[in-house]
Amino acid sequence: MKRAIVIVLALVLAVAAAPKKRAAYDPNLPVLGTKFHALPAGTGRQLVEASCLPCHSPDILVQQRLTEKQWTATVDKMIRWGAVLKEKDKPAVVAYLSKNFGVANSFTPTKTRPVGY
Amino acid sequence: MVFDSIDRRRFLLLAAAPLLAAQKAATPHARESMLQMNGYAVNAETPLALLTDYVTPNELFFVRSHWIPRTPDPKKWRLTIDGEVERPAQLTLSDLKKLPRAETTCVLQCAGNGRGLYAPTVPGVQWRYGAVGNARWSGVRVRDVLERAGVKASAKHLHVFGSDDPPGKVPPFQRSIEMEKVLADGILAFAMNGEPLPVVHGAPLRLIVPGWAGDHWMKWLVRLSPQPESQKGFYMETAYRYPLTVGAPGVAFKPEEMSPVTELFVKSNITTSPKKAKAGHTYEIRGFAFSGAPDIAKVEISDDDGATWTEATLDPRHDPYAWRRWSHRWTPSRAGAARICARATDSNGHVQPRDAAWNQSGYLHNSWHFVDVEVTA
Repeated sequence: MKRAIVIVLALVLAVAAAPKKRAAYDPNLPVLGTKFHALPAGTGRQLVEASCLPCHSPDILVQQRLTEKQWTATVDKMIRWGAVLKEKDKPAVVAYLSKNFGVANSFTPTKTRPVGY
Repeated sequence: MVFDSIDRRRFLLLAAAPLLAAQKAATPHARESMLQMNGYAVNAETPLALLTDYVTPNELFFVRSHWIPRTPDPKKWRLTIDGEVERPAQLTLSDLKKLPRAETTCVLQCAGNGRGLYAPTVPGVQWRYGAVGNARWSGVRVRDVLERAGVKASAKHLHVFGSDDPPGKVPPFQRSIEMEKVLADGILAFAMNGEPLPVVHGAPLRLIVPGWAGDHWMKWLVRLSPQPESQKGFYMETAYRYPLTVGAPGVAFKPEEMSPVTELFVKSNITTSPKKAKAGHTYEIRGFAFSGAPDIAKVEISDDDGATWTEATLDPRHDPYAWRRWSHRWTPSRAGAARICARATDSNGHVQPRDAAWNQSGYLHNSWHFVDVEVTA
């Protein structure tokens, strides 16, 4: 939860620093950094949520188009960098990411309000 | 502590609710927006169609974050100057503001802008066109700060440190820049487009390196340290490196076969064009072009896949390392599918290539930008 508090503080700081000029935007759009893509259902999703989402929103996963070899290398790098994932759970995570975010994947970024609004 | 992502989302949305409510007076159905590439750490690019102004407004300027930032407390913030200097110092923002002011309008582009356009695909934020903007940066010269500290002749590389603190065992984002470049052009900016530098862009102080990619533009600066050698570590020796030679797409280079990403590559993008057109009618095509060179010499437009080119009109407004906006009046001669593309040539004679050289980290993409238009009789 400590990390989430930092996120919110960063968000508040960003909003507080909003310029005085009013941007012309659709108020139905979400504030930048408050709405995330959903991870598709399937075996391995909970492991991915637990090991990846403390540092990244799902967006960064959902937009990738990687081979199994690339996903394996990426997961290995993240484990070296501190991702909490047991070795026995790694194959399920790589399989989930490779199946859902392979080279044929497509991604549409979330349209948001201007920065600071 | 690892926690459930649903709890995280709920917490975030609850915390953001008052902010959402406070913003309801905005103009409905207006067009300003951003494209969120990552919710946290926040990364967002500007829709290309909105990059039409000479100066990109702060609220439309792309945001790049490696991690959820630990931004400095402005009241406690100091800039430490150490290393190869006669007089190490700790400067407040007030100290800096007593120095002669410097200002520059120039392009900031993320080194990975266009990564999502490379094939084969590579990991990382899948930026397309909008991780770039042109802003007016105000502050003080790096040269003035370092000369007052008595920088020694032995200093060849400026090591730069921000307060950006990575999670877990992630290596810290620490960089260095050749002293010659940073003394010639570097600015320590505390204002952006006439406003205090926004927190998301590095307040209270950010390094500006005109003509060089964003990996050098350290945000949330806390320390400058001139040193005889370049900085070590992951973000110098492994990441943010570009191949010394052109290789085969999909074949990775070793770190020693690459050098740090520095100067931007010459590039143009089309921001404004019709989706449909009628033969014999005239339409305005517009865009921008920039480079690691101080200026753009020309921009050319083709509607026949690069077989023939017509020179576009460059907007006279320009500053060194800023982008040039350009326009072209296009009259399609016949019905059918037309592919418009733009190619820029910079003031050093570098010509934008048809295909950017593939590299495993997806840096400095600068292929010709194609736009398809359906032309009817």
